[in-house]
Amino acid sequence: MSFCTAAAALLVSAALLHAQTPATIPLSETQALQRAGRNLFGQDCAFCHGKDAGGGETGPDLTGSALVAADVNGNKIGPVIRQGRPDKGMPAFHLSDPDIAALVAFIHYQQHQSELHPGARRRVDVSDLQSGDAEAGKRYFNGAGGCAACHSASGDLAGVARRYIGLKLEQQLLYPSGAKAKVTVTLPSGQALTGTLNYRDEFAIGMVDENGWYHSWPAGAVKYKIDDPVQAHAELLGKYTDDDIHNLMAYLQTLK
Amino acid sequence: MRRMTKTNALAIGFGAVLFCAAAAAQGLDSSMLLHPPPDSWPGYHGDYSGRRHSSLTQITPQNVDQVALAWAFQTNQTALLKCSPLLVNGVLYFTVPDNVWAVDARTGHQIWHYTYPPNKGLHIGHRGVGMYKDWLYFLTPDAHLVSLNAKNGAARWNVVVADSNKGYWTTMAPLVVNNHVIIGVSGDFDNLTGYLRAIDPETGATQWQWNSTPPAGTPNMTTGGMTWMTGTYDPELNLLYWGTGNPTPVLQGGPRPGPNPYTCSIVALNPDNGKLVWAFSASPHDTHDWDAVETPVLVDGDFHGAPHKMLMQTSRNGYFFVLDRTNGKSLLTVPYGPVNWSLGVDPNGSPIPNPKKEPARDGRLIAPDEGGLTNYRSPSFDPKTGLFIVDAHPSYGIYFTKPADGTFGWAGADYGVWGKGVLEAIDYETGKLRWTHELGPHGSGAGVLTTDSGLTFSGDAEGNLMAFDTANGKTLWHAGTGGEIASSPITYELDGRQYIVTSSGGVLFAWALPKSVIGNEARFRIPTGSGTQ
Repeated sequence: MSFCTAAAALLVSAALLHAQTPATIPLSETQALQRAGRNLFGQDCAFCHGKDAGGGETGPDLTGSALVAADVNGNKIGPVIRQGRPDKGMPAFHLSDPDIAALVAFIHYQQHQSELHPGARRRVDVSDLQSGDAEAGKRYFNGAGGCAACHSASGDLAGVARRYIGLKLEQQLLYPSGAKAKVTVTLPSGQALTGTLNYRDEFAIGMVDENGWYHSWPAGAVKYKIDDPVQAHAELLGKYTDDDIHNLMAYLQTLK
Repeated sequence: MRRMTKTNALAIGFGAVLFCAAAAAQGLDSSMLLHPPPDSWPGYHGDYSGRRHSSLTQITPQNVDQVALAWAFQTNQTALLKCSPLLVNGVLYFTVPDNVWAVDARTGHQIWHYTYPPNKGLHIGHRGVGMYKDWLYFLTPDAHLVSLNAKNGAARWNVVVADSNKGYWTTMAPLVVNNHVIIGVSGDFDNLTGYLRAIDPETGATQWQWNSTPPAGTPNMTTGGMTWMTGTYDPELNLLYWGTGNPTPVLQGGPRPGPNPYTCSIVALNPDNGKLVWAFSASPHDTHDWDAVETPVLVDGDFHGAPHKMLMQTSRNGYFFVLDRTNGKSLLTVPYGPVNWSLGVDPNGSPIPNPKKEPARDGRLIAPDEGGLTNYRSPSFDPKTGLFIVDAHPSYGIYFTKPADGTFGWAGADYGVWGKGVLEAIDYETGKLRWTHELGPHGSGAGVLTTDSGLTFSGDAEGNLMAFDTANGKTLWHAGTGGEIASSPITYELDGRQYIVTSSGGVLFAWALPKSVIGNEARFRIPTGSGTQ
């Protein structure tokens, strides 16, 4: 019996033993943490990020996350859990340090698993997004797409392919996140204030002025005009063909 | 006065008997499920029709701006309330995963709180309980059905209804029909068979099971077809109507070529034996996770001049369907918002999927997104205006799959790109939108309730609870609730006061007119004759 075979036999018997009498095999500290983390993840995180942390309906794949890859013992993941990402719809979770440590252990374990079994993961790689024609994308950008009305390859988009890659670049192309709308509010006195739109519903309008102060008014008591540059992206969604998107991706990827 | 005195002895004699009878009859009478009185909301949809329409008229378009908070109940949970409470004999019963509360519907104070032990099932949400006589039926994340004593929340029995180790979980509110507790199952991350099961309300024994798809591994056949939303029931036809979920693998249609019965379907079953009577395919070959589980709303009325027993659904895939519910034949199929994935509609009224819009390695832009043009929150049908009112979600998403993603579970990736909320009033005979009301970016999760006084209740993307004029969609009242509204409103009348019960975050709210306003309204109210509401 070679060493490898012996080791394999040992592993098999250990696995069988484990399956039959799990209580008699003490878990390592890491395994216990991962197991606790799996339960917590199933309760609090799986709805958005998928039960295996591979991404869900509204939350990204954590197994392919650069933040997770850069995390050491929760130094990156912990703050995101505690503070949430309100701008992206992730609430803050008020969890204890041991609970967060368990979640971190589970997320790292899942990332490791996903690397072992790449076929089982759902993820979009940069190489998946290379089917377009950059020249056709450039024509669309300057022509039918109307992109050039707001954007310039040598101006705001210079180096965009260095700032974003792969899926993130495509998501920014389709509907940029983080772009703020401007609002100009005209008070009954005739005074006009301009700032960054902070809140709007049917009943109130809120903005942050150039000094960083928040103001709000009943929507019916003032006149206001919103300049939302991202609106043009929403209007394009009903006009693109899939080829247009792929070609635009190819073109933007040349803007390094 | 004298006449009352004359009958006093008799009254006292009968009083004890009547009191005992009333005390003994605290459970849910089955006639209450067939004809819910105004002081009840005994099933997920209120009545069996799924219309989520109330005949109550105390709150009107004229006085709704005086509606105020009657009480609020804090669950102190991080989980969002996604359920519809039941109201039976003055007590509200409602849930989040692993938790059931019984709360006084007049005051909002807790009567009891049941907690299910910690478990590994997916805690995605919970839609509420079902009730039969003195017993509640509660499904758990690890797919057990627990029967609770409605008086005190004590567990009577607990049966496993699906194998959570295989990837099933349960969230839905059981539907009680006669002596059947009908439950459905969830599970999208594994290739599993969806099914409906009828459970004996007394013993927990299985009465029948209807499988929506064949066993996993059947060549060229789909799995999936989960049954995670409460269906509706027509007592005259004795037919149960249920929507089924998407096929699996979810985004990869290759291993399950052609139509995938009975996934993404509306099915009619005999509730006594689970036999399929008819099926209608809402998405014959879904590759976008568009469960067709949205409420199958039952309406009797004219369709282009001829009377019909109809079934209507605003489906997650973006189509509004009107069917003849006696046989499942299509009367109308029309999109109610942006839809870019079909090649049109086939002669049976089913949309024809466009193969070029199936997920692909380099991505496909799809309307609507995975959340769909609407989702589990209820729509409402208003019989006076003939409007089907839905919280819609015009949206786009990008869908990917490649061979390396495999053929198990999700088998791909998809991402929402953009969406917004719009309350839409659909003319059921044409599918045309008679009015729309913008609800804000990303979308609202609030369901819809209509009342006979011409009011529509729903909410916006910022957590405002709102009342609209059903005739034209104009806002008549609102209240900021401070959280996400993820449930559908209910209404009832107790002690002559109409309540609207809604939720946001983990808080349940009861809204009503101030008693001073109700007094004035009552003084000037013109008798309607029937007096029934």
